[in-house]
Amino acid sequence: MGRITLEKVQKKFGDVEVIPPLDLTIEDGEFVVFVGPSGCGKSTLLRLIAGLEDVSGGEIRIDGKPATDLPPAKRGLAMVFQSYALYPHMSVRKNIAFPMKMAGMSQEEQDEKISKAAEVLNLTDYLDRRPGQLSGGQRQRVAIGRAIVREPAAFLFDEPLSNLDAALRVGMRLEISELHKRLETTMVYVTHDQVEAMTMADKIVVLRAGNIEQVGSPLELYKTPRNTFVAGFIGSPKMNLIEGDIARKHDARTIGVRPEHLQVVDSGGTFTGKVGVAEHLGSDTFFHVHLDEMDEPMTVRAGGEVGLSHGDTIHLSPQPDKIHRFDDRGLRIA
Amino acid sequence: MATQHSRAAARFMIAPSVILLLAWMVVPLAMTLWFSFLRYNLLMPGDNPFVGFDNYSYFLTDPAFQAAIVNTLLLVVGVLIITVGGGIGLAVLLAQPMWGTGIIRIMVISPFFIMPTVSALVWKNMFMNPVNGLFAYGADLLGLQPFDFLTQAPLASIIGIVSWQWLPFATLILLTAMQSLDSDQMEAAEMDGASAFSRFFYITLPHLARAITVVILIQTIFLLSIFAEILVTTNGGPGVASTNLTYLVYAESLLRFDVGTGSAGGVVAIILANIVAIFLMRMIGKNLDA
Repeated sequence: MGRITLEKVQKKFGDVEVIPPLDLTIEDGEFVVFVGPSGCGKSTLLRLIAGLEDVSGGEIRIDGKPATDLPPAKRGLAMVFQSYALYPHMSVRKNIAFPMKMAGMSQEEQDEKISKAAEVLNLTDYLDRRPGQLSGGQRQRVAIGRAIVREPAAFLFDEPLSNLDAALRVGMRLEISELHKRLETTMVYVTHDQVEAMTMADKIVVLRAGNIEQVGSPLELYKTPRNTFVAGFIGSPKMNLIEGDIARKHDARTIGVRPEHLQVVDSGGTFTGKVGVAEHLGSDTFFHVHLDEMDEPMTVRAGGEVGLSHGDTIHLSPQPDKIHRFDDRGLRIA
Repeated sequence: MATQHSRAAARFMIAPSVILLLAWMVVPLAMTLWFSFLRYNLLMPGDNPFVGFDNYSYFLTDPAFQAAIVNTLLLVVGVLIITVGGGIGLAVLLAQPMWGTGIIRIMVISPFFIMPTVSALVWKNMFMNPVNGLFAYGADLLGLQPFDFLTQAPLASIIGIVSWQWLPFATLILLTAMQSLDSDQMEAAEMDGASAFSRFFYITLPHLARAITVVILIQTIFLLSIFAEILVTTNGGPGVASTNLTYLVYAESLLRFDVGTGSAGGVVAIILANIVAIFLMRMIGKNLDA
C-alpha cells in the first residue's frame, strides 16, 4: 500500500518560500510524475516526501498515518538518486544488500531477495563487480535494485535518467514503466523532461515556482491545459501561443495551436508566412514559419515529404476545434 | 627521426640535474658507508684504520640500541594511533556545518605551523614542568601530587607532544577527504535505514581509507626521524628511556665523537626505514591504487 497525502505542505529556506502551502494526493499504485522547469521545487517536494528535508508547515500522510515527523528510514519509502548514490567500495551484491543488512535480515533471506532483484533487473552477471566497473545504465539498475529489495510503500525517483545518453534513456524509461506494471507499487518520479512525463505517467503534476499549475493524466494535460504555462510546457515541439489581433478575433487574449494541428494549405489559410528553418525527421518535418504579425516563429508539423524549402511562402490554417483560448490572466477559456 | 633527436636532446638537457641529484644522494651515502667501516673517533686523532664490521657489532650490541629500536617503533605507532584516530574524529566534527567554522578550522590547523623545537619547549616549560607547569597547577588545585611528565613518563610525554604537532596534518587531509564525500550517498544510506553509527562505519570510513593511507605513509616517514623534540625535552633520558634511533646516532657521533659508530648507526637506520617502508606498502599500499 502506498497512498501519500500532502496537506498544506510548505517549505521555506530562511525567508524564501520555495513551496507555498500545497495539497496533493498520490493514490496507491499510481505512477505520478512531477514535472517543471529547473528550480521549480519539484526535487524539493520529493525530498519533503522522502523526509530528507523537514517541512516548514503542513502534514504528510503515508497510508493515512502521519509521517511528517518520521525519519526517512521509517517512512517505508525508497529513493533512486540522480547520481545513483551507490556505495563505491561495495560490490553490487553488497550495495543491494545494504538496506536489508541495516534492517537486520537473515543472510538466506537477503540472498534470496538479491537473486530475485538481480533477475528482474538483468544484473545477475554483475553481482560481484564494483559500481565503478559498470556502465551508467547498469548503475541505475543497481540503484533501482537497492530500492526494490526494501519492498517500499512507494518508490521515489529524482531525475534518474538525466545522466544517461539519449538511447539508454529511452530504454530505461521503458524498463521503469515495465517495472511499475509488474510491481504495481506507487512511484513518484521527478523530471524536467516533459517527454518522460508524458510517456510514463498515470498522473502528471506540473509545477512552477513551487505552485501546482495542473494535475491530470497526460492526455488531459495535452488536450485541456489549464493555463498558458502548461500549454507551453506539455507537448513537443511547443504549442504556438499567438497574441494580438488574431487572438482577439477568437475573443481571447492568447490563443494556442499545437504544431500538429496546423495544416499546410495551397492558398488562403489563416496565417501566411515565410519558411525559415526546416527540421526533417523523416517521418515528420517541422517548419519554423516567420509571420509578419509575430516576432516568434511559428512551428508547424507537416508530413515527411513536403516540397517546401527556405524562403518559400506557406499558408497555414489551424483545425478549428483544436484552438486553445486563454484569457488575460493566462487561464483557459472553456 | 625528429622524435629521436628531440629525445636525445631531452636526455642531454636533463642530464645536469639528474647528475647533480644523483651526486647529492650517492656521495653522502658512499661517505657514510665508508666511514662506517673505519675506526674514526675525533677524540683519538691519527690514522683511521679499516676495521671491517667492528663498528656495526659495537652499535648493534650496545644495550641502548635495542631500547632505541623499541622506542622508535613505540613513538611511530603511538603517534599514528593518536593522530589518525583523533584526526578522523576532528574531521567528522569539523565537516559539520556550525557557527565560526572558519576560525575553528584555522585554530585546529595552527599547531602544525609551530616549529618542533618551539612547541616542545612550550610543552616542557609551560605545561609539563612539575613546578611551574599548567598541569602541575591543575593537579595542585585538585590537591594531587604534581606529575613530572618528562621524568616519570618521558616517552609517553614525547608521544603526546609529537601527536599534538601532527594531529592538524591528519585532520587537514582527512577533512578534505570528508568534503569530497557525496552527500547523496549519505542520504541514500539514511533512507536505507542506516543509523548515524552505521553511516560512519559503512560509508564515511571506507571513503576515508585512501586519505588514511596517505596520512600513515607520510607521517611514518617523518616520525621515524623525530629528533628536535627529544633533544630539547629529555635529551634521550632518563637513561635511554626516550632515545630513538635518530637520537642514538646523534649521541654516538656528536656526543661521543665516534664518527665510525655513528655512521654505522646511520646505515642501520636506513635499513630499518626501508624495512618499515616495504612493510607499510605491502600492508596498506593497495588502498592507493584503483
